[in-house]
Amino acid sequence: MAIKTLKDLKAIKLPKPSAPLPYFITMHGRTFTFRDLKHVLGAADISKAGDRKAGLAATDEIMREAARAVLSGLTLQHFFDHPLTNNQGQIDSVMWVNYDIDHATFATIAHLTFGELKDDLLKSTGAHIRQIGAALTGVMVAALTKLLDVHELVLLAKKLKTGASAKARTVVGLPGTLSSRLQPNHPTDNLSGMTMLLYTGLSMGSGDAILGLNPAIDNVANISATLHHLDKIRRETGAPTQICVLSHIKTQLACLKEGAPVEIMFQSLAGTERTLTDEFDVTVELLDHAYETMQTSSPLVGIAENFMYFETGQGSELTYNKHEGMDMATTEALCYGLARRYSPFMVNNVTGFIGPETHLDNHEMIYSCLQDHFMGKLMGLAMGMAPCYTLHSQVTIEGQQMATELLTAAGANFFMDVYLGTDRMLAYFDTSGHDDQTLRETYNLRPAPEFLAWAISRGIFIEDADGNVQRGANWGNPKIFCTAEGKFQEGEFQRLQESVPAIYGFENAGARPSNRVARLMKANQAIGREAIYADLRPAEIGDIALRELHTAANNKSEHLNDPTLGAILADSVLKTLKAEYNDVQIVISDGLSAEAIHHNIPNLLPVLLDGLNSRKLNIGQPILAPFGRVKLAESIGDALAAQLIVTLIGERPGGDALASCSMSAYFAYRLNDKVTQKAAADFSGNAEIHYEYSVLSNIYSGGLPSIEAGSVIAEKVFEILQYKAAGNRLENLMQHHLIPH
Amino acid sequence: MEAPIDSAAHVSINAVSSCAKPNERVYLLGLDFGSTTSSALVASATLSRSRANGRMEFCDTAIEFRSEPVFTPFIGQTIDIVKVTALIHYWLQQSGLGDVSALNIGSETSHLNTNSVFSGGSIITGLAAQADNAAALSKVIHLIVGDSVIATADDPCLESWLAFMGSCSALSRYHIDVPILNLDIGGGTTNAALGINGDVLETGCYFIGARHFQFAVGSYRLLAVSDYGAVILKDLKIKATIGDTLNTNECEIIICFYIKTLEAIVLGNTEFFNSTLAQAHTQVAIQSHDYPKPIITFSGGVGELLYQHAAGGALASRTFFGDFGIDLARAIAHSPILSANLNTEQPENKGRATVYGLTLHSTEISGHTIFLPKPDCLPLRDLPIMAKLSPQSPNDQWQSAFTLAAKRELGACIQIIGVDALNHDKLLDETRALAQKIKAYWLVNQLTNTQPLLILIEANIGKTLGNYISDWGQSMQNMIVIDEVPLRNAHFVNIGRLHQQMVPVSFFGMH
Repeated sequence: MAIKTLKDLKAIKLPKPSAPLPYFITMHGRTFTFRDLKHVLGAADISKAGDRKAGLAATDEIMREAARAVLSGLTLQHFFDHPLTNNQGQIDSVMWVNYDIDHATFATIAHLTFGELKDDLLKSTGAHIRQIGAALTGVMVAALTKLLDVHELVLLAKKLKTGASAKARTVVGLPGTLSSRLQPNHPTDNLSGMTMLLYTGLSMGSGDAILGLNPAIDNVANISATLHHLDKIRRETGAPTQICVLSHIKTQLACLKEGAPVEIMFQSLAGTERTLTDEFDVTVELLDHAYETMQTSSPLVGIAENFMYFETGQGSELTYNKHEGMDMATTEALCYGLARRYSPFMVNNVTGFIGPETHLDNHEMIYSCLQDHFMGKLMGLAMGMAPCYTLHSQVTIEGQQMATELLTAAGANFFMDVYLGTDRMLAYFDTSGHDDQTLRETYNLRPAPEFLAWAISRGIFIEDADGNVQRGANWGNPKIFCTAEGKFQEGEFQRLQESVPAIYGFENAGARPSNRVARLMKANQAIGREAIYADLRPAEIGDIALRELHTAANNKSEHLNDPTLGAILADSVLKTLKAEYNDVQIVISDGLSAEAIHHNIPNLLPVLLDGLNSRKLNIGQPILAPFGRVKLAESIGDALAAQLIVTLIGERPGGDALASCSMSAYFAYRLNDKVTQKAAADFSGNAEIHYEYSVLSNIYSGGLPSIEAGSVIAEKVFEILQYKAAGNRLENLMQHHLIPH
Repeated sequence: MEAPIDSAAHVSINAVSSCAKPNERVYLLGLDFGSTTSSALVASATLSRSRANGRMEFCDTAIEFRSEPVFTPFIGQTIDIVKVTALIHYWLQQSGLGDVSALNIGSETSHLNTNSVFSGGSIITGLAAQADNAAALSKVIHLIVGDSVIATADDPCLESWLAFMGSCSALSRYHIDVPILNLDIGGGTTNAALGINGDVLETGCYFIGARHFQFAVGSYRLLAVSDYGAVILKDLKIKATIGDTLNTNECEIIICFYIKTLEAIVLGNTEFFNSTLAQAHTQVAIQSHDYPKPIITFSGGVGELLYQHAAGGALASRTFFGDFGIDLARAIAHSPILSANLNTEQPENKGRATVYGLTLHSTEISGHTIFLPKPDCLPLRDLPIMAKLSPQSPNDQWQSAFTLAAKRELGACIQIIGVDALNHDKLLDETRALAQKIKAYWLVNQLTNTQPLLILIEANIGKTLGNYISDWGQSMQNMIVIDEVPLRNAHFVNIGRLHQQMVPVSFFGMH
């Protein structure tokens, strides 16, 4: 088996960074000046929310075409010689790895302009295109991609389907196949819940790419337990596939060391070193270590040829404001240049996961998905796609479904199977097993061959005399896995069903959920979406007098699309505030669900105030701040000099109507004396820390009811003020009964 | 892929735990001493909120240890305490819960790692419960396995309830609208329970079992007859004494009586129980019911044999076990009334239903926001339930309950009913008013600081109710408010130690 040996980083040939060059072009009488290559790349893309926020998007169509014209005329050698550097003018580690290219091939194409390269590829076959892709850095791939229209993105990617497969227990990505990752996420990592979702997905022919869970709790004990459980289900059902729990790479390494079945190693990637290291706590060296460990220690050694699983998606670097001045598509391509180093079994693109600050609507999301799929395939990756959305963006299920149709046409290796499309842990919406089967039937595709043989043996699929694969009698019937000695176990099935929220039924209409199930699912989703767009109605939040203060977000649209605005009070408001020096200041904000406030505050606030008053604390008049975010606490805390700010804020709704009324309480403790600040700085390692946070979430009638939440919050306030600490430091002090003087 | 949930909040946040830790497992222990056999079960489970009823419950249960059933050791009419003690130590050692050094027969010292057991129960049932020294055995069990486990003897309705929960709880929720009548037939008793959608509605207990007549294996030569067996012989005019061999006709007459009694239970035929013989075999009559025709299921030792038989498995020869067990199983299979659902519905755990019920269902889990200012006062054992009061109950009932509670130095319990947690608009006002009422009676009756008063309430308002009663924890009295526990008709309640902000709650002395 051909296992790739990693190239020594020092052996990668790098250009010398140079000062950025400006680029000029005159088009239809208008002269455009682009400050540097990053701005050319940014302007050449379609306009996306993240790039607009970063000031990189073209302001009009002519400017966009001007940028594309500039790109079309630049050579590959020019791009090689002018690496995009970080804010310090250096090549970061992600860019560094991107220069690990096929230099022999590059030498043959270096002279081509991007316009010439595009035309050459459109005339070429898959093998040639793949060879060229291996000679390109991520930045070059991004530049090329910005010249492609939708048809070209689909057509070129389709030509790359052959040769985009990868092998673990199954081979995923072969021509004629469409695979799926079965994602049995559960809000509390409940094993029975996972079992139910796994049974359901497997019965729909899903999971041939992987059984992959996003855990709620990322610690070694929980991840190990979950891995062993997935392994048990895989063995019991006999499904030929592989398993993965998508925890941090360090956790998985620890689990592997303890003997847990880490068959495939997962990690989220970023396209800049600062995002990768500061936010994801990962370095290239750590990825190298994980890759090499898996070559010798994975349970799939001797079976698999590929051991890594990466997730990416346009915009995470920008969200963390660590994109180094690059646009979203370019940083995404850099992720692929990094992923390429490790010949992964799967790369999954989750564009749409973050929200409207990166992709505002269907158009932006669909186009990014097509770009990402092509870019990954061109760079030799086994690309799967998870076009998805959150309810606070304007991306809809219709847009997501259009994306899957286009991506299937383009030859995506796999999609997700989240039952009924509603992720029960991450509060977002992804593709479902019904979608996967619908696409297989529409495009005459089948699962991975090993998995298909198993599914036929279980009656999930049948293959007729002409070789056509159809749904079998057991398709969509999870009960087939819930048996003992050949008999269906009604009691066990009932217990499993009861452990999964938002499971509206198992009736199907062909490859689709029955109308009854679809209506229930979409009605719940509609309630969630409306909760976001509902405005606060002060008359519905009780009788206690509130003072209303405005954030920098002037309206709902600004609030949703730019999270920074809701994190500060408007300047005009700040000017009117004076220090009040209260012990506690309560702030109420809709956040991402005004309905959560209407649902919880009338019972919660009186209890909380009764509790605080029982200790004779100085309490500021509670504030109502529409369009607020969590960090608004600091803006208010600094202005009023409050010791502790308790922010009661609506959570991002998921697909469950009741849970759309879920609220959180954030406790922001202001570190206003030197001794406490030093203690917090020492504990956190952050010398500049000026607030510590605790959070109580899931406040709603289906979780922690508001009347009880009032007491829990009051008691937490007592503890924070007594110990002069919040967050992990508070827990640590309480554990050791270290009450400060 | 990673992304901040709220991208404006790039802050290190510590979550305040308000619920159980996912996948942290607790251990549960069940010990069942029946007329014929005894067995033990150790399970582990996580604590999780049920999607079905919203309450905390055991989830992801895994059986860690299941003993082979052994004959309950008797010396004549009394339980052999020495052998039972050795048996318990052996089970604990086998299950990994106990210390091997405790294997000295007769040792009554606790070697159980009590911290590892969240809850459990032991029950002495049927003829064993009628033994002269059943109460002594309960004490021994307490000494060996400690505070986490409740020990009860002769609580027939509890046993019926446990058998239903151990065998039909999930099946009943699967057939959400159809009642299920479970008959748990053991050596000494048939424990009947009727339930729907997972809840037991009615229970009863009858002295019908395999072991009222004990024979020399392979024959019908009588070795022993219970008091109830003797009544049958007398009433049915069968002149047989110890040492005699019952003929086929005599056996059939006895079995026929048992089958007719079981059919009468199933059909709700109260007239049948007017006869002296049927009355003598009724310990607690199951109330007649107006529900649609129930699904009939069986558990217990005879139930186990019956399903084996129904599945085509060969039954051992008659009196292989030295009793009427096999005859009863065959006869039930031949009764169209009793065997209606034998091949279509499969209860779980069958022969071990009681011990499963005991292990997994004898304990309720409180909500995770309870009011418990002095956790060290737990566990609390054998708290008498003084009254079941609603905010609308007359003042004299409230006064009487608190007067009685004040006399109980070791603590007492009052159940509160009639608070509608779903009525959001009025809940806060109701909670405050209820707190004022309890506080007033509490102060008037001068319960001391060391006298625990437990308030049990179904509505999820425990912490706030307790805070309002105690002036936000500033009162020194030992008031405990435990919520989200379904209230039962029982005389006593036990509260186990705090674990993950929750406590186990067990009822006994059910009526």
